Amino acid sequence: MPLCDGHDAAVTTINVELARHGVEVIYLGYHCAASAIARAAAQEDVHAVGISSYNGGHVVFFSEVVSQLRARGGGDIAVFGGGGGTITPADERVMRRRGVDRIFFAGTPLGEMMTSVTSRYARVPGPGAGLGGDRALARAITLAEAAGQSGKRMRRPRESGKGAFVVGVAGPGGAGKSTLIDELTSRFLRARPAGRIAILANDPSQPDSGGAILGDRVSAIYTQDDRVFFRSLATRGNVSGVSRATPESIGILRNSGEFELILVESVGIGQDGDPFQVFGAGPRLVNAMLFVLAPHYGGRIQLQKTSLLRGADIVALNKCDHPSAHAARAEIAAVLESNQAGRQMVETIAARHHDPGVDKVYEAIARMSEGHAARGAAGRGRSAS
Amino acid sequence: MSVLAGVADAVDAYNAHVASEACRARREEAFARELGARWGKLRAEIEWTRSPSGTPLPRLALPPTDEPGAIAEYLLGQGAPGEFPFANAAYREMYLDRGDSGEEPMRLFAGLGLAEDTNKRFHYLTSHQKSIRLSTAFDGPTLYGLDSDHEGVAGKVGEGGVAIDTVEDMERLFAGFDLTRGDASVSMTINAPAPAILAMFVAAARRRFGRDCAAQLRGTIQADMLKEVQAQNEIVFPVEASLRFLCDMIEWCVGEMPRWYPISISGYHIAEAGATPVQQAAFTLANGFTYVELLRGRGADVGAFGPRLSFFLDCGLDVEYLVLGRACRRIWAIGMRDVFRAGAQAQLFKLHTQTSGRSLVSAGFENNLTRTAIELLLAYLNCSNSCHSNSADEPFTTPTEHYARLASHAQSIILEESGLFRHAMNLLAGGPGMAVLEREVEKRILGIFRELDELGGVLAAQEERYQRSKIQEAGHAYEKQIDSGERPVIGLNRFVFKERMPRVNLARTPPSRQRRQIERLRVFKKRNARKAPAALERLESVTRAGGNVFAELLDTVEVCSLGQVTACLGGVVGRFRPMV
Repeated sequence: MPLCDGHDAAVTTINVELARHGVEVIYLGYHCAASAIARAAAQEDVHAVGISSYNGGHVVFFSEVVSQLRARGGGDIAVFGGGGGTITPADERVMRRRGVDRIFFAGTPLGEMMTSVTSRYARVPGPGAGLGGDRALARAITLAEAAGQSGKRMRRPRESGKGAFVVGVAGPGGAGKSTLIDELTSRFLRARPAGRIAILANDPSQPDSGGAILGDRVSAIYTQDDRVFFRSLATRGNVSGVSRATPESIGILRNSGEFELILVESVGIGQDGDPFQVFGAGPRLVNAMLFVLAPHYGGRIQLQKTSLLRGADIVALNKCDHPSAHAARAEIAAVLESNQAGRQMVETIAARHHDPGVDKVYEAIARMSEGHAARGAAGRGRSAS
Repeated sequence: MSVLAGVADAVDAYNAHVASEACRARREEAFARELGARWGKLRAEIEWTRSPSGTPLPRLALPPTDEPGAIAEYLLGQGAPGEFPFANAAYREMYLDRGDSGEEPMRLFAGLGLAEDTNKRFHYLTSHQKSIRLSTAFDGPTLYGLDSDHEGVAGKVGEGGVAIDTVEDMERLFAGFDLTRGDASVSMTINAPAPAILAMFVAAARRRFGRDCAAQLRGTIQADMLKEVQAQNEIVFPVEASLRFLCDMIEWCVGEMPRWYPISISGYHIAEAGATPVQQAAFTLANGFTYVELLRGRGADVGAFGPRLSFFLDCGLDVEYLVLGRACRRIWAIGMRDVFRAGAQAQLFKLHTQTSGRSLVSAGFENNLTRTAIELLLAYLNCSNSCHSNSADEPFTTPTEHYARLASHAQSIILEESGLFRHAMNLLAGGPGMAVLEREVEKRILGIFRELDELGGVLAAQEERYQRSKIQEAGHAYEKQIDSGERPVIGLNRFVFKERMPRVNLARTPPSRQRRQIERLRVFKKRNARKAPAALERLESVTRAGGNVFAELLDTVEVCSLGQVTACLGGVVGRFRPMV
């Protein structure tokens, strides 16, 4: 939805229908700047951008999105949209002249809209020769997703030695992983004024249709910066909590040499499998593991049974202002002690502005990252250890 | 247990009390006599009037019964208009013809272009009204606390509402109206930036009517942050900070603006975003009780702020709307009295109703006149204290003059031309079908209260997206019902006829006007360039120190624009993190 527009009744319904028809929808939420839409479209390597506008100014706004897409090398990405009766046929003519592909007028049946979108925009992505910048990276990830889905053998990430530090982020749904990642992003942007950060956000696909609504960008307010590369990945039936394309995507991002830090968010445990199998089994994909827990995780028994904490380098006890945080703190401390030394627990309230707990998590990651870089420079350690 | 389960229990307990009192009235002769005496007195006090063709009518129609149980059920269960639990009406006579002036309940929402354009529309709309009742719609940038020169808002300036950047725009907006008049009242539909906008309103009024005019200003500002999080999505600062700024404003208004309603707790946008009528009522009431709890938690006196709370609901064509106002008035009154121990004034659920925007369609759009008329009738049957009727051209545009006039005349036709509301109160209220429906609606509202309670109350549930997901589910179901034809919409899925897209005049703001606004803002910022930094610094330090932000804003807005204020506050408290 455009800047200054919060009318999301139509778009939420259309998202549900699109996902039911097998489309992966990257939902950006309301009040989006044209630049943010174009940036997201390039990084997500989408087939088309749909805009729902109910607050006027659509002629200017749609045109702005088209020109921003062109400026970011996404001139091939189609723009469609609607706005009930607010977009008139006369407006539509102007908008089409300026490069908008299609406007759905008021009263268009949902079925017609779905047929149009799925038949008009579905296509197999090409190799992406000639694409540049984020769009080229994004296309490489798209191809990795396609390969992962067709059952091709996945490549393990090659070592590039270019120093990106990769952190896996896991934890139960509702613990606040996305919020914590976004807050860590804001810390990174402040601490590294020239550096770039990448985020891979996994969300579950719908089992029946194969479609998905990938909504992590809605709440990620600090990703609206060209120094952030954010990519949503649908799990596409993979039960391990991350897309099959995750290993290769990490490799692509690492090898690009663009990023200092890469955060990989798994689907919430309990939502879809156990990401430990991916992050933890065999040679690890990530340099460090961050577990996010909220105090109401279900008690000690579950904590031990799922061995949640065993592979974690940092445990963030988020929402630590919750009344039950006291008990959770003691339990987690006990588990960490009975396992190995060297793991730390940090209490956070990621939803709070400038939370000092989040600062500590960021500092811990930065320290590990520096240690990693130093070992890499000395040629001793394994970069993915 | 949160306060909501307490309210649900209190309503159940009250219903049990009514039932037991009705039994007692049938059993105990002394009690029956006492009720009979009350009933007789009430009846004797009722004045009689005549319809234009001479039929005599009582100004209040009471059930034709002398049976003690039925009397108890009426007096305790519904209450005569203006009496606890206020099912019938908040006040005794509502819209009855008083022969003299009186204020009309019509309040028409308007806002387009620049301040002077909306001012002109205000003068047009009130030219045939007895009182000055203005209602302001703001454009998108203003609703999000942004200036007209903010990057990326170019096409949005003055679209869908009026562009207000500074206190000077606010002066232009109300030029020519004596806002200190007893029958003047101003409504402003704005939420996240409400404190800054109200500060501009007060500052502009002080420039014109003198330093002490705040006590005379009457009206309301929407400022409902909870429904923004749950449905409308015009929220700028994190929830906690937003609620603090709001409570600062409410407390200042309670002390300094005795005629001002500093919040309008709104279900309208919840319904427009997809909620069913029952969900609308339940979430709105629950939000209302949450505000009471919050303010009480800050040490405010419910007796002082309780009477300053008012409500705003949507009215569509679904059958539940026949009783929604009744059910809400009753639950609010019982909750405020029995849970919060509030006095009579704070028990009143004062209701503004707007007809449903979502029910209007562009196919055969002139049918929207009929839809709005029926919704308006329902709104008055619900004894709304004020009403806005939508214009038939709203699927396409900000209302044009022609359809805005028809919408306003619909109100006069219902209230003045028809005899339904002129002669007798309760002509259509409280029939058996209505009673059945009302009980069911009430039961379902209380069910949602208990669900919210189990999730830890409104704020905790909201953090888990409970309200949002319920509203979105209901919205999706509604669209599917239209799609399948289960929910008939004439012209859309029934009696569809091919017609060319109608030629309607569009109220759009031309780029030249938008540039003019940006230029004015530039001049304002340049003129105040030396004073603004110090004012913003003071605002920042008050915000950090936990002082009353609203009191400081009254000074800040003298030299700072809305966007400058928003950026300053955001620098201290951060940004709202949107939810799916």
